[in-house]
Amino acid sequence: MAEGSNYDYLFKVVLIGDSGVGKSNLLSRFTRNEFNLETKSTIGVEFATRSINVNGKVVKAQIWDTAGQERYRAITAAYYRGAVGALLVYDISKHATYVDVTRWLKELRDHADSNIVIMLVGNKSDLKHLRAVPTEEAKAFAAENGLSFIETSALDASNVEAAFQTILTDIYRIVSSKSLEQSADAIKAPTGDTITVTPSVDTTQQQGGKCC
Amino acid sequence: MRSTLTHDTDPLQLIRRRLGKSKSLHDSLSGRASPDGSESPELLQRERSIRTNRRQKFINCLLQEDINMPELRKLAWQGIPDELRPIVWPLLLGHMPSISGLRSSTLKRKREEYASLVEVTFARDRQLDQQIWHQIEIDVPRTRPGVRLWMHACTQRSLERILYVWAIRHPASGYVQGINDLATPFFQVFLSAYVDSEAEDFDPTILPPSVLNAIEADSYFCLSRLLDGIQDNYIAGQPGIHRSVKRMAELVARIDPPLAAHLASQNVEFMQFAFRWMNCLLMREISVRNTIRMWDTYLAEGADAFSQFHLYVCSAFLVKWSEKLRQMDFQGIIMFLQSLPTQSWTDHDIEMLLSEAFVLSSTWHNAQSHFSGR
Repeated sequence: MAEGSNYDYLFKVVLIGDSGVGKSNLLSRFTRNEFNLETKSTIGVEFATRSINVNGKVVKAQIWDTAGQERYRAITAAYYRGAVGALLVYDISKHATYVDVTRWLKELRDHADSNIVIMLVGNKSDLKHLRAVPTEEAKAFAAENGLSFIETSALDASNVEAAFQTILTDIYRIVSSKSLEQSADAIKAPTGDTITVTPSVDTTQQQGGKCC
Repeated sequence: MRSTLTHDTDPLQLIRRRLGKSKSLHDSLSGRASPDGSESPELLQRERSIRTNRRQKFINCLLQEDINMPELRKLAWQGIPDELRPIVWPLLLGHMPSISGLRSSTLKRKREEYASLVEVTFARDRQLDQQIWHQIEIDVPRTRPGVRLWMHACTQRSLERILYVWAIRHPASGYVQGINDLATPFFQVFLSAYVDSEAEDFDPTILPPSVLNAIEADSYFCLSRLLDGIQDNYIAGQPGIHRSVKRMAELVARIDPPLAAHLASQNVEFMQFAFRWMNCLLMREISVRNTIRMWDTYLAEGADAFSQFHLYVCSAFLVKWSEKLRQMDFQGIIMFLQSLPTQSWTDHDIEMLLSEAFVLSSTWHNAQSHFSGR
Protein backbone atom coordinates (compact mmCIF):
# COMPACT_ATOMS: atom_id res chain seq x y z
CA MET A 1 0.00 0.00 0.00
CA ALA A 2 2.74 2.39 0.93
CA GLU A 3 4.44 3.97 -2.05
CA GLY A 4 7.65 4.30 -0.14
CA SER A 5 9.55 7.51 0.01
CA ASN A 6 10.66 7.83 -3.59
CA TYR A 7 9.38 11.30 -4.22
CA ASP A 8 10.94 14.70 -4.57
CA TYR A 9 8.24 16.74 -2.91
CA LEU A 10 5.53 15.98 -0.40
CA PHE A 11 2.63 18.40 -0.45
CA LYS A 12 -0.17 18.37 2.07
CA VAL A 13 -3.47 19.41 0.54
CA VAL A 14 -6.89 19.73 2.15
CA LEU A 15 -10.28 19.25 0.57
CA ILE A 16 -12.89 21.54 2.05
CA GLY A 17 -16.39 22.74 1.26
CA ASP A 18 -19.99 22.16 2.22
CA SER A 19 -21.46 18.78 3.00
CA GLY A 20 -22.48 16.71 0.00
CA VAL A 21 -20.59 18.62 -2.71
CA GLY A 22 -18.54 15.55 -3.61
CA LYS A 23 -15.21 16.05 -1.86
CA SER A 24 -14.75 12.36 -1.04
CA ASN A 25 -15.54 11.31 -4.58
CA LEU A 26 -13.10 13.85 -6.02
CA LEU A 27 -10.48 12.28 -3.80
CA SER A 28 -11.32 8.70 -4.70
CA ARG A 29 -11.48 9.59 -8.38
CA PHE A 30 -8.04 11.16 -8.20
CA THR A 31 -6.31 8.60 -6.00
CA ARG A 32 -8.03 5.36 -7.04
CA ASN A 33 -9.98 6.30 -10.16
CA GLU A 34 -13.15 5.29 -8.37
CA PHE A 35 -16.52 6.94 -8.06
CA ASN A 36 -19.28 5.72 -5.83
CA LEU A 37 -22.78 7.17 -5.86
CA GLU A 38 -23.37 5.50 -2.53
CA THR A 39 -20.79 7.13 -0.32
CA LYS A 40 -21.28 7.50 3.40
CA SER A 41 -20.68 10.92 4.88
CA THR A 42 -17.13 11.65 5.95
CA ILE A 43 -16.69 11.74 9.71
CA GLY A 44 -13.84 13.97 10.82
CA VAL A 45 -11.15 13.53 8.19
CA GLU A 46 -10.01 10.89 5.76
CA PHE A 47 -6.71 10.52 4.08
CA ALA A 48 -5.30 9.40 0.75
CA THR A 49 -2.21 9.99 -1.34
CA ARG A 50 -1.06 9.92 -4.91
CA SER A 51 2.17 10.80 -6.61
CA ILE A 52 2.25 12.66 -9.88
CA ASN A 53 4.89 14.05 -12.13
CA VAL A 54 5.44 17.81 -12.19
CA ASN A 55 8.24 19.20 -14.33
CA GLY A 56 10.09 15.92 -14.15
CA LYS A 57 9.83 15.79 -10.37
CA VAL A 58 7.80 13.31 -8.41
CA VAL A 59 5.31 15.20 -6.31
CA LYS A 60 3.48 13.23 -3.70
CA ALA A 61 0.17 14.70 -2.65
CA GLN A 62 -0.98 13.88 0.84
CA ILE A 63 -4.63 14.76 0.74
CA TRP A 64 -6.90 15.20 3.73
CA ASP A 65 -10.58 15.03 2.97
CA THR A 66 -12.62 16.82 5.60
CA ALA A 67 -16.19 16.52 6.83
CA GLY A 68 -18.36 19.36 5.60
CA GLN A 69 -20.65 19.82 8.57
CA GLU A 70 -20.21 22.91 10.67
CA ARG A 71 -19.90 20.91 13.90
CA TYR A 72 -16.69 19.34 12.64
CA ARG A 73 -14.90 22.62 11.96
CA ALA A 74 -13.00 22.46 15.25
CA ILE A 75 -11.48 19.13 14.35
CA THR A 76 -11.02 19.70 10.64
CA ALA A 77 -9.38 23.10 11.12
CA ALA A 78 -6.53 21.31 12.89
CA TYR A 79 -5.66 19.74 9.56
CA TYR A 80 -5.14 23.08 7.84
CA ARG A 81 -1.87 23.36 9.72
CA GLY A 82 0.99 22.61 7.38
CA ALA A 83 -1.25 22.39 4.33
CA VAL A 84 0.24 24.06 1.27
CA GLY A 85 -2.86 23.70 -0.85
CA ALA A 86 -6.61 23.68 -0.50
CA LEU A 87 -9.29 22.60 -2.91
CA LEU A 88 -12.39 24.54 -1.97
CA VAL A 89 -15.25 22.62 -3.47
CA TYR A 90 -18.84 23.64 -4.18
CA ASP A 91 -21.62 21.96 -6.13
CA ILE A 92 -22.53 23.77 -9.36
CA SER A 93 -26.12 22.57 -8.97
CA LYS A 94 -26.53 23.90 -5.41
CA HIS A 95 -26.21 27.65 -5.17
CA ALA A 96 -26.00 27.67 -1.37
CA THR A 97 -22.77 25.67 -1.48
CA TYR A 98 -21.31 28.41 -3.68
CA VAL A 99 -22.51 31.16 -1.36
CA ASP A 100 -20.72 29.40 1.49
CA VAL A 101 -17.40 29.62 -0.34
CA THR A 102 -16.86 33.00 1.32
CA ARG A 103 -17.20 31.41 4.74
CA TRP A 104 -14.73 28.69 3.82
CA LEU A 105 -12.24 31.29 2.62
CA LYS A 106 -12.49 33.01 5.98
CA GLU A 107 -11.99 29.65 7.65
CA LEU A 108 -8.76 29.21 5.69
CA ARG A 109 -7.62 32.73 6.43
CA ASP A 110 -8.16 32.11 10.15
CA HIS A 111 -6.52 28.71 10.41
CA ALA A 112 -4.24 28.01 7.46
CA ASP A 113 -0.85 29.31 6.43
CA SER A 114 -1.22 32.66 4.69
CA ASN A 115 0.66 31.38 1.63
CA ILE A 116 -1.67 28.44 1.07
CA VAL A 117 -2.57 27.93 -2.58
CA ILE A 118 -6.33 27.79 -3.00
CA MET A 119 -8.26 26.44 -5.93
CA LEU A 120 -11.98 26.94 -6.27
CA VAL A 121 -13.59 23.79 -7.63
CA GLY A 122 -17.12 23.68 -9.03
CA ASN A 123 -17.94 19.98 -8.88
CA LYS A 124 -20.76 17.96 -10.47
CA SER A 125 -20.34 19.65 -13.86
CA ASP A 126 -22.15 16.64 -15.35
CA LEU A 127 -25.41 18.00 -13.89
CA LYS A 128 -25.74 20.50 -16.73
CA HIS A 129 -29.51 20.69 -16.63
CA LEU A 130 -29.40 21.55 -12.90
CA ARG A 131 -26.71 24.18 -13.05
CA ALA A 132 -27.31 26.91 -10.47
CA VAL A 133 -23.92 28.63 -10.53
CA PRO A 134 -22.81 30.18 -13.84
CA THR A 135 -19.23 29.35 -14.74
CA GLU A 136 -18.41 32.98 -15.50
CA GLU A 137 -19.62 34.15 -12.12
CA ALA A 138 -17.47 31.65 -10.23
CA LYS A 139 -14.52 32.37 -12.47
CA ALA A 140 -14.80 36.09 -11.77
CA PHE A 141 -15.14 35.47 -8.05
CA ALA A 142 -12.03 33.30 -8.10
CA ALA A 143 -10.04 35.90 -9.99
CA GLU A 144 -11.10 38.63 -7.54
CA ASN A 145 -9.95 36.52 -4.63
CA GLY A 146 -6.73 35.29 -6.14
CA LEU A 147 -7.86 31.69 -6.47
CA SER A 148 -7.47 29.44 -9.43
CA PHE A 149 -10.67 27.94 -10.74
CA ILE A 150 -11.87 24.79 -12.42
CA GLU A 151 -15.08 22.89 -12.92
CA THR A 152 -14.96 19.13 -12.42
CA SER A 153 -17.09 16.06 -12.41
CA ALA A 154 -15.97 13.27 -10.14
CA LEU A 155 -18.73 11.19 -11.71
CA ASP A 156 -17.57 11.36 -15.34
CA ALA A 157 -13.98 12.10 -14.31
CA SER A 158 -13.73 15.29 -16.32
CA ASN A 159 -11.07 17.71 -15.11
CA VAL A 160 -10.37 15.88 -11.87
CA GLU A 161 -6.88 15.02 -13.00
CA ALA A 162 -6.43 18.57 -14.24
CA ALA A 163 -7.59 20.10 -10.98
CA PHE A 164 -5.04 18.26 -8.89
CA GLN A 165 -2.36 18.59 -11.53
CA THR A 166 -2.88 22.36 -11.63
CA ILE A 167 -2.85 22.98 -7.91
CA LEU A 168 0.16 20.72 -7.38
CA THR A 169 1.99 22.48 -10.19
CA ASP A 170 1.15 25.87 -8.69
CA ILE A 171 2.44 24.73 -5.33
CA TYR A 172 5.53 23.25 -6.91
CA ARG A 173 6.24 26.52 -8.68
CA ILE A 174 6.07 28.47 -5.43
CA VAL A 175 8.00 25.96 -3.38
CA SER A 176 10.77 25.46 -5.91
CA SER A 177 11.21 29.18 -6.48
CA LYS A 178 11.36 29.67 -2.72
CA SER A 179 14.02 27.04 -2.26
CA LEU A 180 15.89 28.65 -5.11
CA GLU A 181 15.74 31.97 -3.29
CA GLN A 182 16.95 30.37 -0.12
CA SER A 183 19.72 28.26 -1.54
CA ALA A 184 21.04 30.71 -4.08
CA ASP A 185 20.43 34.08 -2.61
CA ALA A 186 23.61 35.52 -4.05
CA ILE A 187 22.88 34.53 -7.56
CA LYS A 188 19.21 35.17 -7.36
CA ALA A 189 17.88 35.90 -10.73
CA PRO A 190 16.21 39.27 -11.26
CA THR A 191 12.48 39.33 -11.11
CA GLY A 192 12.22 37.35 -14.30
CA ASP A 193 11.43 33.75 -13.69
CA THR A 194 14.23 31.33 -14.01
CA ILE A 195 11.84 28.49 -13.58
CA THR A 196 9.59 28.15 -16.48
CA VAL A 197 6.50 26.30 -15.65
CA THR A 198 5.70 24.22 -18.62
CA PRO A 199 2.79 21.88 -18.67
CA SER A 200 3.75 18.72 -16.92
CA VAL A 201 5.74 16.09 -18.77
CA ASP A 202 3.10 13.66 -17.68
CA THR A 203 1.71 12.10 -20.81
CA THR A 204 -1.88 12.13 -19.65
CA GLN A 205 -4.08 14.71 -21.26
CA GLN A 206 -3.27 18.01 -19.71
CA GLN A 207 -5.60 20.56 -18.28
CA GLY A 208 -8.15 20.27 -20.94
CA GLY A 209 -11.30 22.17 -20.29
CA LYS A 210 -12.26 25.07 -18.22
CA CYS A 211 -9.23 25.48 -16.08
CA CYS A 212 -7.92 29.01 -15.98
CA MET B 1 -38.68 -13.20 0.98
CA ARG B 2 -41.96 -14.20 2.46
CA SER B 3 -42.58 -12.75 5.83
CA THR B 4 -45.17 -13.34 8.40
CA LEU B 5 -46.63 -10.10 9.53
CA THR B 6 -48.61 -9.23 12.49
CA HIS B 7 -50.57 -6.19 13.47
CA ASP B 8 -49.78 -6.62 17.10
CA THR B 9 -47.41 -3.90 18.22
CA ASP B 10 -46.58 -5.24 21.64
CA PRO B 11 -43.17 -6.87 21.24
CA LEU B 12 -43.69 -9.05 24.27
CA GLN B 13 -46.80 -10.54 22.73
CA LEU B 14 -44.84 -11.21 19.59
CA ILE B 15 -42.16 -12.99 21.52
CA ARG B 16 -44.75 -15.03 23.37
CA ARG B 17 -46.32 -16.06 20.11
CA ARG B 18 -42.99 -16.93 18.66
CA LEU B 19 -42.12 -18.98 21.69
CA GLY B 20 -45.27 -20.92 21.14
CA LYS B 21 -44.22 -21.68 17.59
CA SER B 22 -40.71 -22.69 18.44
CA LYS B 23 -40.53 -26.39 18.92
CA SER B 24 -37.19 -26.68 20.63
CA LEU B 25 -38.19 -23.94 22.97
CA HIS B 26 -41.43 -25.63 23.71
CA ASP B 27 -39.50 -28.76 24.45
CA SER B 28 -37.05 -27.04 26.65
CA LEU B 29 -39.89 -25.36 28.51
CA SER B 30 -41.18 -28.78 29.35
CA GLY B 31 -37.72 -29.90 30.30
CA ARG B 32 -37.08 -32.21 27.41
CA ALA B 33 -34.01 -32.22 25.25
CA SER B 34 -34.16 -31.42 21.58
CA PRO B 35 -35.52 -34.50 19.82
CA ASP B 36 -33.07 -34.37 16.95
CA GLY B 37 -30.22 -34.09 19.39
CA SER B 38 -29.43 -37.75 19.41
CA GLU B 39 -28.28 -37.63 15.82
CA SER B 40 -25.99 -34.61 16.17
CA PRO B 41 -22.36 -34.91 17.03
CA GLU B 42 -21.79 -34.58 20.71
CA LEU B 43 -20.12 -31.21 20.53
CA LEU B 44 -22.88 -29.71 18.43
CA GLN B 45 -25.41 -31.04 20.81
CA ARG B 46 -23.56 -29.59 23.71
CA GLU B 47 -23.36 -26.21 22.05
CA ARG B 48 -27.00 -26.31 21.22
CA SER B 49 -27.95 -27.23 24.71
CA ILE B 50 -25.87 -24.37 26.09
CA ARG B 51 -27.65 -22.03 23.73
CA THR B 52 -31.04 -23.44 24.59
CA ASN B 53 -30.12 -23.19 28.20
CA ARG B 54 -29.14 -19.56 27.90
CA ARG B 55 -32.28 -18.82 26.01
CA GLN B 56 -34.28 -20.52 28.67
CA LYS B 57 -32.64 -18.41 31.35
CA PHE B 58 -33.55 -15.27 29.40
CA ILE B 59 -37.10 -16.42 29.02
CA ASN B 60 -37.49 -17.26 32.67
CA CYS B 61 -36.12 -13.87 33.53
CA LEU B 62 -38.38 -12.07 31.06
CA LEU B 63 -41.50 -13.85 32.21
CA GLN B 64 -41.16 -12.54 35.76
CA GLU B 65 -43.85 -10.14 36.92
CA ASP B 66 -41.16 -7.69 37.86
CA ILE B 67 -38.02 -8.43 35.93
CA ASN B 68 -34.88 -8.77 37.95
CA MET B 69 -32.82 -6.20 36.09
CA PRO B 70 -29.38 -7.09 37.51
CA GLU B 71 -30.02 -10.65 36.41
CA LEU B 72 -31.13 -9.54 32.96
CA ARG B 73 -28.04 -7.36 32.62
CA LYS B 74 -25.83 -10.22 33.61
CA LEU B 75 -27.41 -12.43 30.98
CA ALA B 76 -27.36 -9.75 28.31
CA TRP B 77 -23.66 -9.05 28.78
CA GLN B 78 -22.94 -12.39 27.09
CA GLY B 79 -25.16 -11.57 24.12
CA ILE B 80 -28.90 -11.63 23.61
CA PRO B 81 -30.63 -14.22 21.40
CA ASP B 82 -31.81 -12.47 18.21
CA GLU B 83 -35.49 -13.09 18.76
CA LEU B 84 -35.42 -11.73 22.32
CA ARG B 85 -33.42 -8.61 21.58
CA PRO B 86 -36.44 -6.48 20.59
CA ILE B 87 -37.73 -6.72 24.14
CA VAL B 88 -34.45 -6.89 26.03
CA TRP B 89 -33.01 -3.69 24.54
CA PRO B 90 -35.98 -1.48 25.49
CA LEU B 91 -35.90 -2.99 28.97
CA LEU B 92 -32.20 -2.33 29.42
CA LEU B 93 -32.60 1.20 28.13
CA GLY B 94 -35.53 1.88 30.41
CA HIS B 95 -37.82 2.49 27.47
CA MET B 96 -40.00 -0.36 28.68
CA PRO B 97 -40.79 -0.82 32.39
CA SER B 98 -39.61 -3.94 34.20
CA ILE B 99 -43.05 -4.53 35.68
CA SER B 100 -45.01 -6.59 33.22
CA GLY B 101 -48.38 -5.08 34.07
CA LEU B 102 -47.21 -1.62 33.04
CA ARG B 103 -45.59 -2.55 29.79
CA SER B 104 -48.39 -2.35 27.27
CA SER B 105 -49.81 0.87 28.61
CA THR B 106 -46.39 2.51 28.80
CA LEU B 107 -45.51 1.58 25.26
CA LYS B 108 -48.87 2.76 24.04
CA ARG B 109 -48.48 6.08 25.80
CA LYS B 110 -44.94 6.61 24.51
CA ARG B 111 -45.87 5.81 20.96
CA GLU B 112 -48.72 8.28 21.15
CA GLU B 113 -46.36 10.81 22.62
CA TYR B 114 -43.99 10.32 19.71
CA ALA B 115 -46.81 10.61 17.19
CA SER B 116 -47.83 13.95 18.66
CA LEU B 117 -44.19 15.10 18.75
CA VAL B 118 -43.97 14.37 15.05
CA GLU B 119 -47.24 16.13 14.42
CA VAL B 120 -46.19 19.26 16.28
CA THR B 121 -42.68 19.30 14.84
CA PHE B 122 -43.85 18.98 11.27
CA ALA B 123 -47.01 21.07 11.58
CA ARG B 124 -47.77 23.02 8.44
CA ASP B 125 -47.52 26.40 10.08
CA ARG B 126 -44.19 25.59 11.65
CA GLN B 127 -40.94 26.51 9.94
CA LEU B 128 -38.34 23.78 9.78
CA ASP B 129 -34.89 24.60 11.05
CA GLN B 130 -33.31 24.81 7.62
CA GLN B 131 -29.77 24.11 8.68
CA ILE B 132 -30.67 20.95 10.58
CA TRP B 133 -33.16 19.74 8.02
CA HIS B 134 -30.76 20.34 5.17
CA GLN B 135 -28.03 18.24 6.78
CA ILE B 136 -30.45 15.42 7.58
CA GLU B 137 -31.75 15.47 4.02
CA ILE B 138 -28.21 15.07 2.70
CA ASP B 139 -27.30 12.28 5.10
CA VAL B 140 -30.39 10.08 5.11
CA PRO B 141 -30.00 8.80 1.54
CA ARG B 142 -26.38 7.93 2.30
CA THR B 143 -27.13 6.05 5.49
CA ARG B 144 -26.26 2.38 4.98
CA PRO B 145 -26.09 2.95 1.23
CA GLY B 146 -26.79 -0.10 -0.86
CA VAL B 147 -28.76 -1.89 1.85
CA ARG B 148 -32.24 -2.53 0.59
CA LEU B 149 -34.13 -1.65 3.75
CA TRP B 150 -32.45 1.74 3.94
CA MET B 151 -32.95 2.58 0.30
CA HIS B 152 -36.73 2.44 0.68
CA ALA B 153 -38.33 5.89 0.75
CA CYS B 154 -40.50 4.74 3.62
CA THR B 155 -37.53 3.85 5.85
CA GLN B 156 -35.77 7.04 4.86
CA ARG B 157 -38.78 9.18 5.85
CA SER B 158 -38.85 7.39 9.21
CA LEU B 159 -35.19 8.07 9.77
CA GLU B 160 -35.63 11.72 8.81
CA ARG B 161 -38.36 12.13 11.38
CA ILE B 162 -36.41 10.36 14.11
CA LEU B 163 -33.32 12.47 13.53
CA TYR B 164 -35.11 15.76 13.10
CA VAL B 165 -37.37 15.39 16.12
CA TRP B 166 -34.36 14.43 18.22
CA ALA B 167 -32.27 17.32 16.90
CA ILE B 168 -34.96 19.90 17.57
CA ARG B 169 -35.34 18.67 21.10
CA HIS B 170 -31.59 18.75 21.71
CA PRO B 171 -30.58 22.21 20.55
CA ALA B 172 -27.16 22.09 22.23
CA SER B 173 -26.02 19.54 19.72
CA GLY B 174 -28.63 19.47 17.02
CA TYR B 175 -28.10 16.83 14.39
CA VAL B 176 -24.49 15.76 13.96
CA GLN B 177 -23.31 13.49 11.15
CA GLY B 178 -22.89 9.98 12.47
CA ILE B 179 -26.02 10.07 14.62
CA ASN B 180 -27.81 8.73 11.56
CA ASP B 181 -25.64 5.61 11.76
CA LEU B 182 -26.53 5.13 15.43
CA ALA B 183 -30.26 5.06 14.72
CA THR B 184 -30.04 2.13 12.32
CA PRO B 185 -29.38 -0.77 14.73
CA PHE B 186 -32.47 0.15 16.74
CA PHE B 187 -34.67 0.31 13.69
CA GLN B 188 -33.44 -3.03 12.41
CA VAL B 189 -33.73 -4.77 15.76
CA PHE B 190 -37.27 -3.52 16.34
CA LEU B 191 -38.25 -4.33 12.80
CA SER B 192 -36.96 -7.87 13.29
CA ALA B 193 -39.68 -8.47 15.88
CA TYR B 194 -42.32 -8.20 13.19
CA VAL B 195 -40.73 -10.04 10.31
CA ASP B 196 -39.24 -13.46 9.85
CA SER B 197 -36.95 -12.59 6.97
CA GLU B 198 -33.69 -10.69 7.16
CA ALA B 199 -34.50 -7.14 8.28
CA GLU B 200 -31.96 -5.57 5.93
CA ASP B 201 -33.69 -7.02 2.87
CA PHE B 202 -37.16 -6.19 4.03
CA ASP B 203 -39.57 -3.93 2.23
CA PRO B 204 -41.18 -1.92 5.02
CA THR B 205 -43.94 -0.53 2.83
CA ILE B 206 -45.84 -3.77 3.29
CA LEU B 207 -46.03 -3.21 7.03
CA PRO B 208 -49.24 -1.80 8.45
CA PRO B 209 -48.80 1.86 9.45
CA SER B 210 -49.37 1.08 13.12
CA VAL B 211 -46.44 -1.33 13.14
CA LEU B 212 -44.19 1.05 11.29
CA ASN B 213 -45.09 3.84 13.69
CA ALA B 214 -44.33 1.60 16.66
CA ILE B 215 -40.90 0.69 15.25
CA GLU B 216 -40.16 4.33 14.55
CA ALA B 217 -41.28 5.51 17.99
CA ASP B 218 -39.36 2.81 19.83
CA SER B 219 -36.27 3.57 17.76
CA TYR B 220 -36.60 7.24 18.57
CA PHE B 221 -36.84 6.72 22.32
CA CYS B 222 -34.05 4.19 22.46
CA LEU B 223 -31.77 6.34 20.33
CA SER B 224 -32.54 9.24 22.69
CA ARG B 225 -31.57 7.14 25.69
CA LEU B 226 -28.32 6.11 24.07
CA LEU B 227 -27.47 9.68 23.08
CA ASP B 228 -28.27 10.96 26.57
CA GLY B 229 -25.11 9.21 27.71
CA ILE B 230 -22.88 10.73 25.03
CA GLN B 231 -24.29 14.20 24.44
CA ASP B 232 -20.86 15.71 25.03
CA ASN B 233 -19.69 13.98 21.89
CA TYR B 234 -21.94 16.16 19.77
CA ILE B 235 -22.11 19.60 21.34
CA ALA B 236 -19.94 22.45 20.11
CA GLY B 237 -16.27 21.53 20.15
CA GLN B 238 -17.19 17.89 20.76
CA PRO B 239 -15.50 17.81 24.20
CA GLY B 240 -16.69 14.28 24.94
CA ILE B 241 -14.76 12.93 21.98
CA HIS B 242 -11.67 14.93 22.81
CA ARG B 243 -11.75 13.61 26.34
CA SER B 244 -12.23 10.01 25.25
CA VAL B 245 -9.51 10.14 22.61
CA LYS B 246 -7.10 11.66 25.10
CA ARG B 247 -7.83 8.98 27.68
CA MET B 248 -7.55 6.28 25.05
CA ALA B 249 -4.09 7.55 24.07
CA GLU B 250 -3.04 7.53 27.71
CA LEU B 251 -4.38 4.05 28.22
CA VAL B 252 -2.68 2.65 25.11
CA ALA B 253 0.59 4.16 26.30
CA ARG B 254 0.16 2.07 29.45
CA ILE B 255 -0.99 -1.21 27.96
CA ASP B 256 1.13 -1.24 24.79
CA PRO B 257 4.11 1.10 25.16
CA PRO B 258 5.88 -0.12 21.98
CA LEU B 259 2.80 0.64 19.89
CA ALA B 260 2.30 4.03 21.51
CA ALA B 261 5.97 4.83 20.91
CA HIS B 262 5.78 3.73 17.30
CA LEU B 263 2.68 5.81 16.61
CA ALA B 264 4.39 8.80 18.18
CA SER B 265 7.56 8.23 16.17
CA GLN B 266 5.47 8.24 12.99
CA ASN B 267 3.66 11.40 14.08
CA VAL B 268 0.35 9.60 14.13
CA GLU B 269 -2.10 11.33 16.42
CA PHE B 270 -4.92 9.36 17.98
CA MET B 271 -7.32 12.04 16.86
CA GLN B 272 -6.55 11.18 13.24
CA PHE B 273 -8.21 7.79 13.50
CA ALA B 274 -9.99 7.51 16.85
CA PHE B 275 -12.20 10.54 16.32
CA ARG B 276 -14.45 8.51 14.08
CA TRP B 277 -14.31 5.54 16.44
CA MET B 278 -15.85 7.71 19.14
CA ASN B 279 -18.18 9.70 16.92
CA CYS B 280 -19.78 6.65 15.33
CA LEU B 281 -19.13 4.13 18.11
CA LEU B 282 -17.04 1.98 15.74
CA MET B 283 -19.98 1.59 13.38
CA ARG B 284 -17.78 2.62 10.45
CA GLU B 285 -15.25 -0.02 11.44
CA ILE B 286 -17.43 -3.07 12.01
CA SER B 287 -20.64 -4.46 10.53
CA VAL B 288 -24.09 -3.65 11.83
CA ARG B 289 -24.41 -7.24 12.94
CA ASN B 290 -21.24 -6.88 14.97
CA THR B 291 -22.48 -3.56 16.31
CA ILE B 292 -25.72 -5.07 17.49
CA ARG B 293 -23.86 -7.79 19.37
CA MET B 294 -21.58 -5.14 20.86
CA TRP B 295 -24.52 -3.07 22.03
CA ASP B 296 -25.96 -6.07 23.91
CA THR B 297 -22.96 -5.78 26.18
CA TYR B 298 -22.89 -1.97 26.25
CA LEU B 299 -26.55 -1.85 27.24
CA ALA B 300 -25.92 -4.46 29.90
CA GLU B 301 -22.99 -2.44 31.21
CA GLY B 302 -25.25 0.53 31.81
CA ALA B 303 -25.92 4.09 30.79
CA ASP B 304 -22.36 5.33 30.55
CA ALA B 305 -20.96 2.36 28.64
CA PHE B 306 -21.18 4.24 25.35
CA SER B 307 -18.67 6.75 26.66
CA GLN B 308 -16.74 4.81 29.33
CA PHE B 309 -16.65 1.15 28.38
CA HIS B 310 -16.39 2.14 24.73
CA LEU B 311 -13.05 3.73 25.43
CA TYR B 312 -11.68 0.39 26.59
CA VAL B 313 -13.18 -1.37 23.60
CA CYS B 314 -11.48 1.13 21.29
CA SER B 315 -8.17 0.63 23.08
CA ALA B 316 -8.45 -3.15 22.84
CA PHE B 317 -9.46 -2.74 19.20
CA LEU B 318 -6.35 -0.72 18.38
CA VAL B 319 -3.99 -2.99 20.28
CA LYS B 320 -5.38 -5.92 18.33
CA TRP B 321 -3.50 -4.65 15.26
CA SER B 322 -0.39 -3.71 17.20
CA GLU B 323 2.02 -6.05 15.49
CA LYS B 324 0.93 -5.00 12.00
CA LEU B 325 0.88 -1.31 12.86
CA ARG B 326 4.39 -1.40 14.27
CA GLN B 327 5.69 -2.42 10.83
CA MET B 328 4.03 0.52 9.08
CA ASP B 329 4.92 4.12 8.40
CA PHE B 330 2.62 7.10 8.85
CA GLN B 331 0.78 6.64 5.60
CA GLY B 332 0.46 2.90 6.02
CA ILE B 333 -0.93 3.28 9.52
CA ILE B 334 -3.51 5.88 8.62
CA MET B 335 -4.66 4.02 5.52
CA PHE B 336 -4.84 0.73 7.40
CA LEU B 337 -6.85 2.18 10.26
CA GLN B 338 -9.18 3.86 7.78
CA SER B 339 -10.28 0.55 6.32
CA LEU B 340 -9.65 -2.24 8.77
CA PRO B 341 -10.00 -5.87 7.70
CA THR B 342 -13.02 -6.64 9.89
CA GLN B 343 -15.42 -7.65 7.09
CA SER B 344 -15.40 -11.28 8.12
CA TRP B 345 -15.73 -10.62 11.82
CA THR B 346 -18.23 -12.81 13.61
CA ASP B 347 -19.90 -12.55 16.98
CA HIS B 348 -16.97 -14.49 18.32
CA ASP B 349 -14.47 -11.79 17.31
CA ILE B 350 -16.66 -9.17 18.95
CA GLU B 351 -16.92 -11.24 22.09
CA MET B 352 -13.14 -11.58 22.25
CA LEU B 353 -12.84 -7.83 21.88
CA LEU B 354 -15.43 -7.24 24.58
CA SER B 355 -13.70 -9.53 27.03
CA GLU B 356 -10.36 -7.86 26.38
CA ALA B 357 -12.04 -4.52 27.00
CA PHE B 358 -13.57 -5.88 30.17
CA VAL B 359 -10.17 -6.91 31.49
CA LEU B 360 -8.81 -3.46 30.67
CA SER B 361 -11.69 -1.66 32.31
CA SER B 362 -11.48 -3.78 35.47
CA THR B 363 -7.79 -3.08 35.69
CA TRP B 364 -7.76 0.58 34.83
CA HIS B 365 -11.13 2.08 35.39
CA ASN B 366 -10.67 2.99 39.00
CA ALA B 367 -7.05 3.79 38.57
CA GLN B 368 -7.92 7.39 37.87
CA SER B 369 -4.52 8.64 38.89
CA HIS B 370 -3.06 6.88 35.88
CA PHE B 371 -5.02 9.21 33.72
CA SER B 372 -3.64 12.65 33.98
CA GLY B 373 -6.16 15.43 34.21
CA ARG B 374 -9.06 13.27 35.22
